[in-house]
Amino acid sequence: MAQTNTSFRLPESIKKDTLSFRQKVKDFLDGQTTPAIFQAYRVPRGIYEQRQTGEFMVRVRAPAGVILPEQAQRLAELSRTYGNGVLHITTRQDVQIHEVKIEKTPDILESLLEVGLSPRGGGGNTVRNITACPRAGVCPDEAFDVRPYAIALAEYLLDFESSFNLPRKFKVAFSGCSQDCALASVADLGFFANIKDGTEGFTVYAGGGMGSHSRVAVKIEDFIPGREVFSVAEAMKRVFDQYGDRTNKHRARLRYVLDRLGQDEFVKLYQQQREKLKQEKLQTPTIHPIISTSKASGQSNSTTTDRSLVEYHNWRRANVSAEKEPGAFTIRLRLALGDISANDLEKIASLAGTIGAGLIRTTQTQDLLLCRVREDDLPFAFAQLSGLKAGVLSAGGPKLVACAGASTCRLGLCRSRDLASAISTELDTTGWSIEWNGQVIRISGCPNSCGHHPIGVIGLQGRAKRLDGKLVPCYSVLVGGKVGQGSARLAEQVAVVPAKNVPALVYDVLGLLQSSAADRESLDSTVADSKEKIARIAAKYSHIPTIEQQPQFYQDFGATEDFSLAGRGPGECGAGVMDVIRLDIDQAKQSLDRAKESTDGKTKSDTVYEAIVAAARALLITRGLEPRKDREIFSAFAKHLIEPGWIGQGTEKLLNQALDYRLGDIADIGHLQESVARMLARVEELFHSLDANLNFRVEPISKKHVDPNPPKDNEHVIDLRGVECPLNFVKAKLALEKIEVGGILEVLLDGGEPVENVPASFTEQGQEIVDTSESNGHFLVTVRRRN
Amino acid sequence: MSLTEQQIERYSRQIILKEVGGPGQEKLLASKVLIVGAGGLGSPAALYLAAAGVGTLGIIDYDNVDLTNLQRQVIHNTSDVGREKVASAAEKIKAINPDVTVQTYRERAAAANIREIIKKHDFVLDGTDNFPSKFLINDVCYFEKVPFSHAGILRFDGQMITVLPGQTACYRCVFDKPPPAGLVPSCSQAGVLGPLAGVIGCLQATEVLKYLLGVGELLTDRLLIFDGLGLQFREVKVTRNPDCRLCGQEPSITELADEEQAACDLKASQ
Repeated sequence: MAQTNTSFRLPESIKKDTLSFRQKVKDFLDGQTTPAIFQAYRVPRGIYEQRQTGEFMVRVRAPAGVILPEQAQRLAELSRTYGNGVLHITTRQDVQIHEVKIEKTPDILESLLEVGLSPRGGGGNTVRNITACPRAGVCPDEAFDVRPYAIALAEYLLDFESSFNLPRKFKVAFSGCSQDCALASVADLGFFANIKDGTEGFTVYAGGGMGSHSRVAVKIEDFIPGREVFSVAEAMKRVFDQYGDRTNKHRARLRYVLDRLGQDEFVKLYQQQREKLKQEKLQTPTIHPIISTSKASGQSNSTTTDRSLVEYHNWRRANVSAEKEPGAFTIRLRLALGDISANDLEKIASLAGTIGAGLIRTTQTQDLLLCRVREDDLPFAFAQLSGLKAGVLSAGGPKLVACAGASTCRLGLCRSRDLASAISTELDTTGWSIEWNGQVIRISGCPNSCGHHPIGVIGLQGRAKRLDGKLVPCYSVLVGGKVGQGSARLAEQVAVVPAKNVPALVYDVLGLLQSSAADRESLDSTVADSKEKIARIAAKYSHIPTIEQQPQFYQDFGATEDFSLAGRGPGECGAGVMDVIRLDIDQAKQSLDRAKESTDGKTKSDTVYEAIVAAARALLITRGLEPRKDREIFSAFAKHLIEPGWIGQGTEKLLNQALDYRLGDIADIGHLQESVARMLARVEELFHSLDANLNFRVEPISKKHVDPNPPKDNEHVIDLRGVECPLNFVKAKLALEKIEVGGILEVLLDGGEPVENVPASFTEQGQEIVDTSESNGHFLVTVRRRN
Repeated sequence: MSLTEQQIERYSRQIILKEVGGPGQEKLLASKVLIVGAGGLGSPAALYLAAAGVGTLGIIDYDNVDLTNLQRQVIHNTSDVGREKVASAAEKIKAINPDVTVQTYRERAAAANIREIIKKHDFVLDGTDNFPSKFLINDVCYFEKVPFSHAGILRFDGQMITVLPGQTACYRCVFDKPPPAGLVPSCSQAGVLGPLAGVIGCLQATEVLKYLLGVGELLTDRLLIFDGLGLQFREVKVTRNPDCRLCGQEPSITELADEEQAACDLKASQ
């Protein structure tokens, strides 16, 4: 197979997981698994449903952005056979196959496995693709080649089941120098290569990320020797695991933990975890150095025509750059918005097999690179690449990075890719010739920042504005974002303009920057200095005309209908166990609401029953159970949640009544609404307390052990076991009233509702609960009369 | 006296109340309340007081159930038409709560008989439909020092006040004597919306229970006016009148006398 020292090896656990995938898909197709459960299963395996129902996307991880020619061949074949014949390169160096049917995904996964690829951890709340500088190993500026570390860390982390059930996604990046081409300064965990006393090592940052609440990472280590990347990553993963908020996926990423705890506490917790790991004597893998080769095509005599000679030189100036090894070059294949056809990718793969390092690299700007190409082979490469359909030879112009946008993403507000095309057209038709060979314009269709607009020199973020009751697609214009070790900063918003004005605005702003910035290196400072000027330009474009004046302003790029937010919905990105539980809890709530509203006895009972089933099912998945029959759900709930004391014992009676109703033994359970609401409240409380390992962080209802022979009834003890709520409280209260103020009453109660409710009622009425203790499933509550 | 298991269960929802508890329930069971008039106001009041476990309920009414009563006098059923109201009411009360002892008085409330009846009770609920009876109840309660709840309803409006005789403003402090005959229309002339009786009758029952339990603020020295059409409650502050002919400093009413005025609903009181 395709295992070499240059790319990563899939852990055995992932191979096994892949082979069990077919059965899971079959179960789903046979109706054995619900769509929600199946979603929670497939998303962490990198398989997302697209905006079009029934079409799926497979996101294949490429650690350090390295793809072997045979892997690229296979990806191309799979896209052509099962998908839409186009591969998409993501900003995190993955490769995506689009528009595949779910029943074909097992074939795809097994076929990928043959060439050492997997989408495992491509989505969901997992350790995502571990990225690295796309030119790692050849970049003249790098401290050293970071790929061996990125690949070894990927192999290491992917072997742990815990890496696939985190509070939210966890992104790790390795940059070879402080310029940060890998975007480590805005990653959850970012490594910057440094050499100290001749030792390879890293300065480490954590807690960065881009989204609706972007944040630059903070430094957690000045320098660690290279071998310690494993313990650093594992320690930070554990901090995330323990402190990430699993119940709110919008506030779950590591950066929220950092915000919540503050930097000092955050770093302290991380250090404690590292200490623990030292004691655990973490087994760490070997880091294999990458053995670099450089192939020659043997066709260095290939020539070009005179006409193409001009093109060749333009191409070479814009897309070919020198490497640290003299005589070796990197070729950048510029892809429009990261798309490449399967046919083109095959040709590139075959070219990559004959020249240079024998690899294809994916970049964070959604391009492909061929490295270690000998100067003699450049004309040959040019000739080969000229035959591609994609215009990978384009000479310069600012690079546009855009997210999927509203055309395909369920979260998208604006059609960011269509705006990118419109900007390209504007720059082309107005004869733009600037040659900043880096990412300049970053576009996100919504605040979630998938287009990385917060780090754009120019960033554009889709939004909607309303004028006279009509929605207008607009973009926030942000400037001055950048990445870099210790120098990262988020772009600042300078204006909000209607989408249709954005291309002209971009043209003007680039003109301003071109006239002010001498080169790429001074661009950042130029932008910072020009903020006011840019704001003035933007102000010129911020006016929204009325729909009568300019109806096209009310339509987004690439759309022929008036702009609307219809069809927006929750994305699948964070889908996981938590969402499945949330789904059940919501369903139980809705059923209870319907029961409340219902005036018909049968409907009321039916909806109460539904609520009981959903509430009982919700947490079972955390115990690794997915029973489908109601009876199985109830018995699993009794065994795994009531017996261990997580839910009160009174609930078991509730389940029995529900079953009796289902069997027709009792005609009406409408009156159980309140009890179901209490059961649901406890289920929700347990849900919110779930930790990394799906353990509940709250105390079980049983508290401590007491004398197994409870005291007999006497003047100051009352045995109310077997007495239901609220009669038990009534009796206890009557008993307490017979005691003088200041006196003590001991009440024996059942677990569950009784022990939840009776002490609470006493407290509410101003009496004092001195103690609650447990013995063999019942409870002794000590009350002091206070009034 | 100790509550039985059944009583604990029956009254559990009010025993739970901090303001009631076991002692409160026992007080209710030991109390005697007289309901004057088993009509619009008396019906809901009797039902709720019985349900709450007021131990003895006296009901005084001379009338028989008439078909026109059923629109608002909810203690009577269609099959009761023609029966004595007190018998019909007693039957319903027993059905709701056998704990309650019902004493029925099939009599017209008059100066000659009512004093002996009222003095046996802890509280009187005035559910009468005419001014002379209301003044009579006020006067007897003053002489016997029995607290009472006064109320009246007409069309969409109702009014009520609670009187602690000798301590708070009495009915005569506010209204010296009945209006001249014909000035205020009767229910049979002007009509009344049924639920008005329910709203005000239930508020009276609430006052009864509060008084018996000794909790909350009674509706004393305040005339509560309910506007059903606007759905608004309004309060008018009233104070004891030093010139009140009954409870003032120089009282002129020193013995009972029947005030003279036509009863509200002639047909029902024939």
